[in-house]
Amino acid sequence: MSEVLLEIRDLKKHFPVRGGISRIGGGAVRAVDGVSLEVRAGETLGIVGESGCGKSTLGRSILRLIDPTSGVVNFSGRNILKLNRSQMRAIRREMQIVFQDPYASLNPRYTIFQTLSEPLEVHGLFDASERKHRVYAILERVGLDPSYASRYPHEFSGGQRQRIGIARALILQPKLMVLDEPVAALDVSVQSQVINLLEDLQDEYQLTYIFIAHDLSVVKHISDRVLVMYLGKMAELASADELFANPLHPYTQALLSAVPVPNPDVRRERQILQGDLPSPANPPPGCVFHTRCPIAEDVCRREIPEWREVKPAHFTACHLVKGGTP
Amino acid sequence: MHKRCQTTLPGGAVLSNVLEVDSLSVEFRINGEYFHAVHDVSFHIESGETLGIVGESGCGKSVTSLALLRLLTKNARVSGEVSYKGRNLLDLPDREMRQIRGNEVSMIFQEPMTSLNPVYKIGAQISEALRLHTQTTPRRAWQQSMEMLRSVGIARAEGVMGEYPHQLSGGMRQRVMIAMSMVCNPQLLIADEPTTALDVTIQAQILDLMRKLSKDLGTSVLLITHDLGVVAEMCDRVAVMYAGEIVEQGTAKDIFHNPQHPYTRGLLNAIPKLDAASKERLQPIEGNVPSLTRMPKGCHFAPRCPLVFEKCRAEAPGLFRVEPGHLSRCWLNDAQEGN
Repeated sequence: MSEVLLEIRDLKKHFPVRGGISRIGGGAVRAVDGVSLEVRAGETLGIVGESGCGKSTLGRSILRLIDPTSGVVNFSGRNILKLNRSQMRAIRREMQIVFQDPYASLNPRYTIFQTLSEPLEVHGLFDASERKHRVYAILERVGLDPSYASRYPHEFSGGQRQRIGIARALILQPKLMVLDEPVAALDVSVQSQVINLLEDLQDEYQLTYIFIAHDLSVVKHISDRVLVMYLGKMAELASADELFANPLHPYTQALLSAVPVPNPDVRRERQILQGDLPSPANPPPGCVFHTRCPIAEDVCRREIPEWREVKPAHFTACHLVKGGTP
Repeated sequence: MHKRCQTTLPGGAVLSNVLEVDSLSVEFRINGEYFHAVHDVSFHIESGETLGIVGESGCGKSVTSLALLRLLTKNARVSGEVSYKGRNLLDLPDREMRQIRGNEVSMIFQEPMTSLNPVYKIGAQISEALRLHTQTTPRRAWQQSMEMLRSVGIARAEGVMGEYPHQLSGGMRQRVMIAMSMVCNPQLLIADEPTTALDVTIQAQILDLMRKLSKDLGTSVLLITHDLGVVAEMCDRVAVMYAGEIVEQGTAKDIFHNPQHPYTRGLLNAIPKLDAASKERLQPIEGNVPSLTRMPKGCHFAPRCPLVFEKCRAEAPGLFRVEPGHLSRCWLNDAQEGN
């Protein structure tokens, strides 16, 4: 097994809520509430969950685009939460992010060349002619014609823009890429082009991916391991094959059964969750899922379930799943 | 009181089709020139059935639905025939169209936030349809709206009636939209990406609700979506659109088990499937959807088609019959071509 590239321990991000006219402190939105995990070099960790579960906040906290409230993020053995600005800037070369919305995440006033060479300039890498050479090379690698370099983002389709977003992240030759819903805004026929590109790039450059998405089929396809989040907490973590074949947490089970299957002959007994996601500013006591859980018992309403390894490499936080030790 | 059941024309003929669309075309004026957004689209919806229109962004599926209800902007030129109970909706005077719209034919939009009026209470917005289209008293309209809210699964209907859209979650808003569109007992419901903005668990609730309502009330549904999973689950028949045209049409089984058009096959191969062995490589459709202003000559799909041959680039194919009720717009399905 390859070495651990990223280690997160008890990461929390609470956004303070200053409510009402008096502006005096109320509670906090617990966007990420105690996440611990390890990511090994070269693997793809998928993070799934519904909107508001904290998956994007987690992705951004890992890169310190948002400063976490507490916890530890060790990247290549250093706790990046302790680094100062210039140290952080240096280490960001090795950790890059691709955003969901290819329309909003490219500077409309920069040509593609400017967008792609800026990261190299910021990090003081190479001279002008080498930068030029690298921009053209990376464009070609992500499947765009190098002659496009002088164009502006509005001249491209969504799929092409996402390729540019990937090129921008890739040009610094990072070790870790956080992909935050990279294909959610794309059409089905283009989505698969981008997924294939991401897989090829991972093989070629030994990249480590954190792939954040709400589309379970896409996550299953691309991930080695998958983390399911609910209301800022970890619900279940296992290898992709194991999680989808044998989901243990009732939330994971409901989530999987809710996915419509493109086959008219399949009429599954669907487990439909009642109600909406509770507000993360005021999470339920005990297990955060108990308000919607079809099998909740008394203990679930009282006690927070422990994160346990219930089978080798299969973790979950549920009182009612048997076996394993904390 | 119920308007559904078969339509009897003066003369005694019985129609079981709620809607028949014949050669519908929509052109938009762009820089002084007209371009086809929808070209020669024909389909029908039988009483009580759900027809899905599936396609990617820009394929014309939403424009088609807006054209049916005459909701397009002034720079659109619409031609063809949209026959609802034997009357062509495209020729109706505005006043008669208003009596049908929101009453007999209603619509659910994709964005529940932007399609509800932020400054009116939920109760006022739902009962508006009743006050406009029926003779009931305001009090009864309010009562009926509240019952409708209950039947779409909102437990505290009474409270929600007095709330504003921003106070509700996305799933709740979409339920309100459904209540609003169903309160007049429509014969036909047009749902344009009704669950696209929602999370999967909420999507499952909403789809379940739509299925139940259309079954209980016998409403026909035109469901517009890009999600093949939703189509497979909801629809009796499916029309696949690409670049403004229907490229394939048939029963859900035809489309998913015996797809004929290379675009339909491409779409089905391009999506990752939950039951597939993982790490199986996806087969994308190369290239991009053509833009309105640069539509290829001949078959619109030719530049991306893996099976393209000379004729495809020269001449646009018509819809060929594969089996009764199963049509495909591909030269390979032309019996004359010897296939």
